[in-house]
Amino acid sequence: MMASPISCSSRHSPDELPGDPSSQEDEDCDYEDRVSYSGSYSSASSDYDDVEPEWLDSVQKNGELFYLELSEDEEESLLPETPTVNHVRFSENEIIIEEDDYKEGKKYEPKLKRFTKILKTKSLLPKRYNKKNRNDNELVSILKHQSNQKTGVVVQQRYKDVNIYVNPKKLTVTKAKEQLKLLEVLVGIIHQSKWSWKKSGKQGSGERLVVHGLLPGGSAMKSGQILIGDVLLAVNDVDVTSENIERVLSCIPGPMQVKLTFENAYAVKKETTQPRQKKAQSNTNDLVKLLWGEEVEGIQQNILNTPHIVMYLTLQLDSETSKEEQEILYHCPVSDASQKLKSVRGIFLTLCDMLENVTGTQVTSSSLLLNGKQIHVAYWKESDKLLLIGLPAEEVPLPQLRNMIGDVAQTLKFMYGSLDSAFCQVENVPRLDHFFNLFFQRALQPAKLHSSASPSAQQYDASSAVLLDGLPGVRWLTLPQKIKMELDTALSDLEAADFAELSEDYYDMRRLYTILGSSLFYKGYLICSHLPKDDLIDIAVYCRHYGLLPLAAKQRIGQLVIWREVFPRHHLQPSADSNTEVFQEPEGRYFLLIVGLKHYMLCVLLEAGGCASKAVGNPGPDCIYVDQVKTTLHQLGGIDCHINEWLTSSPSPCLSCADWFLTGSHEKLDNLTTSPILSRLPVTSKVATSPTCRILFGDYSLKTRKPSPSRSSGGSDNGCEGGEGVGLSPHTIPNAVWKQRESQGSDGSEESGALLKVTKKKATLPNPFHLGNLKKDLSEKELEIYNTMKLTSGPENTLFHYVALEAVQGIFITPTHEEVAQLSGSIHPQLIKNFHQCCLSIRAVFQQTLVEEKKKALNRGDHSGSTNSISSLNPVKEYGVLFECSPEKWTDQRKAPPVMAYWVVGRLFLHPKLQELYVCFHDSVTEIAIEMAFKLFFGLTL
Amino acid sequence: MGEEGTKGTVHLLCLAASSGVPLFCRSSRGGAPARQQLPFSVIGSLNGVHMFGQNLEVQLSSARTEDTTVVWKSFHDSITLIVLSSEEGTSELRLERLLQMVFGAMVLLVGLEELTNIRNVERLKKELRASYHLIDSFLGDSELIGDLTQCVDCVVPPEGSLLQEALSGFAEAAGTAFGSLVVSGRVVAATESWWRLGTPEAVLLPWLVGSLPPQAARDYPVYLPHGSPTVPHRLLTLTLLPGLELCLLFGPRPPLSQLDPQLLDRWWQPVLDPLRACVPLGPRALPAGFPLHMDILGLLLLHLELKRCLFTVEPSADQEPSPEHRRRLLRAFYTLVTASHFPPEPGSPEEKVEDAAQRSQVPRACYLVSGPEEPGTGWRLVALQSGPRRLLLLSAQSPTHALRGLATHTLHALTPLL
Repeated sequence: MMASPISCSSRHSPDELPGDPSSQEDEDCDYEDRVSYSGSYSSASSDYDDVEPEWLDSVQKNGELFYLELSEDEEESLLPETPTVNHVRFSENEIIIEEDDYKEGKKYEPKLKRFTKILKTKSLLPKRYNKKNRNDNELVSILKHQSNQKTGVVVQQRYKDVNIYVNPKKLTVTKAKEQLKLLEVLVGIIHQSKWSWKKSGKQGSGERLVVHGLLPGGSAMKSGQILIGDVLLAVNDVDVTSENIERVLSCIPGPMQVKLTFENAYAVKKETTQPRQKKAQSNTNDLVKLLWGEEVEGIQQNILNTPHIVMYLTLQLDSETSKEEQEILYHCPVSDASQKLKSVRGIFLTLCDMLENVTGTQVTSSSLLLNGKQIHVAYWKESDKLLLIGLPAEEVPLPQLRNMIGDVAQTLKFMYGSLDSAFCQVENVPRLDHFFNLFFQRALQPAKLHSSASPSAQQYDASSAVLLDGLPGVRWLTLPQKIKMELDTALSDLEAADFAELSEDYYDMRRLYTILGSSLFYKGYLICSHLPKDDLIDIAVYCRHYGLLPLAAKQRIGQLVIWREVFPRHHLQPSADSNTEVFQEPEGRYFLLIVGLKHYMLCVLLEAGGCASKAVGNPGPDCIYVDQVKTTLHQLGGIDCHINEWLTSSPSPCLSCADWFLTGSHEKLDNLTTSPILSRLPVTSKVATSPTCRILFGDYSLKTRKPSPSRSSGGSDNGCEGGEGVGLSPHTIPNAVWKQRESQGSDGSEESGALLKVTKKKATLPNPFHLGNLKKDLSEKELEIYNTMKLTSGPENTLFHYVALEAVQGIFITPTHEEVAQLSGSIHPQLIKNFHQCCLSIRAVFQQTLVEEKKKALNRGDHSGSTNSISSLNPVKEYGVLFECSPEKWTDQRKAPPVMAYWVVGRLFLHPKLQELYVCFHDSVTEIAIEMAFKLFFGLTL
Repeated sequence: MGEEGTKGTVHLLCLAASSGVPLFCRSSRGGAPARQQLPFSVIGSLNGVHMFGQNLEVQLSSARTEDTTVVWKSFHDSITLIVLSSEEGTSELRLERLLQMVFGAMVLLVGLEELTNIRNVERLKKELRASYHLIDSFLGDSELIGDLTQCVDCVVPPEGSLLQEALSGFAEAAGTAFGSLVVSGRVVAATESWWRLGTPEAVLLPWLVGSLPPQAARDYPVYLPHGSPTVPHRLLTLTLLPGLELCLLFGPRPPLSQLDPQLLDRWWQPVLDPLRACVPLGPRALPAGFPLHMDILGLLLLHLELKRCLFTVEPSADQEPSPEHRRRLLRAFYTLVTASHFPPEPGSPEEKVEDAAQRSQVPRACYLVSGPEEPGTGWRLVALQSGPRRLLLLSAQSPTHALRGLATHTLHALTPLL
């Protein structure tokens, strides 16, 4: 019965997490606190550390782990229907809870191990014991399906064989429509699949077959030996799961006796009197459901009707064995709409082969018409294999598809080392199925991905994904120096790995892994990274693919632990320099550990081999490392409110909403100057009350003021001070600064509403006299912010949106969701969508330029290729498009709808370092992209 | 093939769709016709993949490698045209339109009947030889741009109304409604009915006249791909002045010999001076002394409803870059903005029509700066759309922010002309 305290206490509910209520008080999230915390964490906490982590059961045979647990409230709202079905109470000792069946069955085996672990942490056993075990690959013994092998301690009582008579001839139903129909009809056992989605349980080897009911009059009931709650393990000694049961049963040729092997319900249920455990979202298909919300099935159907395909083909055909479809090494999905694309694979193979022969360059894409729909197919050739992805042009424009196939190849190589090892191993097939399921959902239903977010954020995500998902960078949030330093310190401490259990002399042996670096994400924004660019991008693409970043944005993670071996290209590519003096990458193996907690996600890249001991076999996640990363996250819990504040009111360039520029012409000026303030006001007051403000801007007395709409109307002469503020600052200076300045300027701040009343003229024309005054008041730091804030020239802020990519560091910045959400309007979302689509085509031109530049750099030796480049536009360095838009529903028949014009400008910088900038601004001011770029990129460093 | 490099080559293949027999192959390299041909096996597989797809109801339309684009198009289920281009900056839009022009040219000279109902392949091959000259002019560098824009290349004569009057009068007297004055492939003036000719032939007829060797008079049978693809008409051309030709479309009657020489004298003698002024206009397109800004190195003005365009790279001809380079830049820029931003011209259904939701955001202008990083170098291209007119300018000096103003002013000045 020792399992019961374990599973109860191993759950730390979110409100117990440190740093929630208490640590928010102490502002500078102190070092002390962390020390004390981690101290208690490692030594005393018998109710925490001595238990086997709940994710341990989910570790797969190859050492991989994908464990995701929702926070409590999310769980309730997301998965309401699953537990209710299974909450059937039979007796005091026997509760049928499906999830528990699943877990408890497995928890049997590692009992011994768990025991030693408890002993270990209680210092009753030398810790080395456990450690050694792990090195000897003992960890594998806690694997998921060990219990199926009848080697356990309590085996004999737990399994029973039942012989029943089945007669397939009796079946009148020709084809089973539903899943598990044969099991029901033939044997008389009712099993309800845990998830309604039919591909459920594909990961690993399927779901266990729990008997949920017996069909009246069925063979199973007649036998009298099969009980509800039993788990069907084998049919005639063939191991079965929900995955293969139908196939196995369909092999029964005629009437015969069949031996069914069950795991005893009683044995399974022995310890299930404990409260229901949180369901671990370890099944990766659930991830799809989690990310896309409830309508997965509808989406699935929708997607299935869209022709799309991924294929991995071999170009080397074995002519002797002319098996049908032998050239297909992998393909997904299996649907009617995709069948057609599969059937014309000959086209792709021929094109790939022939065009390369004719032109000397590799084929990159082709387009075809299928049922009147244009489909783009992108090619990725490696040695003699060909990876193909086909998607409809309507959903995915060609430049995007080209980026996507590159990303897919990169991610697969990161995960499996090479495309061959990803596609050519049978056990990877279900994983790839899942991988591409996610991929196609992301490609075809981008809007659904963010279903639970607010509509505006959802729209923003969906429309920006077109561009942002293809950028070779990670979304970066610039934090103030103080916070940044704290994060840096925390990560450095972790990377140094000199905590007790990891130090080398603690166990008197080499440590298992060296931490190469780590990067920290908050709500999907990268906030700190100590990884080289290539590694960072590899990891970011992986996270993006599995939708981890949006997941973390919504307080959905109770606990996330991901562990897998990875193959970062940065470390694995052979060094070109054979000089032994130069640093050589050790021939090690690399592991990625991602731990998520609430909004944080910490990705750690570990190296085995090199200075650390060599990895043997497929090591699973090491508890100590996971715990240590978790500790780091816990200790960062305190500053998350600061980061949050920064997210909502970051000093990034202020944005305007397109709709402000669209109102009737005579009110236009008014609106231009006043409405931005109004929209910022709620934020302003929030900032003022929060502790962040105090930290950042010292102890100026800040007063919260109600947002007063009256400020925008009327005009008075005594409002010069305030007028100054309206005319200049709201667009240019972060709220807090403006706020503070204003409270100084107009000492009667209660009256500031009246003071701020201004005439249009005053609003637009800055008063140089007062400006000087104000500047004097500003501290140096604020001045700096002041200078970097305003991106556009002219008195009004005309900036709508921007994306700035710093390719060398692999980061980009763009307005946060919060910023965009503040600018609600009818035109603005469309503008943002159009902006991203336009940027995609601009970027396609830039990419062409980059390719040419690369070629030129290669040809520099022979000076031949430079002369004949007269027919193309390259190298393109700047590209702008002017758009006009007007409100969609314009009811006034007499007047023409107002028109607003805006530019979308892209600028490519090759020197001194590769940077790309995309901005969207109103037409009223002529902007020089270089200047804007300078302002945006200023101080943008990892 | 690959080792010697196929850079800058265009291969055009024409095959009978049903049998796969090649009807002709034309190639050009670096803008000039070339003898280099694709191996027969390659031609076979290029056609094979397309046919294979068609049997499975999948239409293969294009493929791209890193430097080459291939476009397939089949016409009336009887003729398959394939173009494989490795010219720099080539695009699908350009190649698709090229194939349309090529098929138009085939119909123009051979007639649709022959092409859809192939009875004797060898005879068809021989007949198609007549169109080689015209087709080659599409593949190579041309001074005209009508093949790409599908608008008629025009010039603006100094005394347009006089010429217009003379032309209308002459055509009426000669007994046809279709008449035009063509100078080196560009239309100087044309009758109402001539302007109403459908898309391919309106561009093709002047193009054909410009591509033929100079002759005093011709009587040339033509099919009109849009208006009369099966019944031939007669294209009569009379050289009024060297380089300046009068084109008339007739039915079977009257024969050229019956055209009264006095009729010519009567109508054209009085306007001889304006006619003379037209002859050098060809590449300049605009009348001498038209005020253009110094910075403008080339311009392309399109009227999308009238389907006419003005294209010139003559201004400041003494400066870099060379006229060919300027033409290529403007062609590439036109392709880029048409393919990615501006709505396709009305009446070209082959364009991908963007979804209606996007239409609320209408692109109006576009600029591109190309060249090395150093300031003051490289080219600037600007496109402006206003109503049915679209103007593209090439400039070297103008700062980026002045481009739009320059384009607006120029368009304003050009508006009365087209």
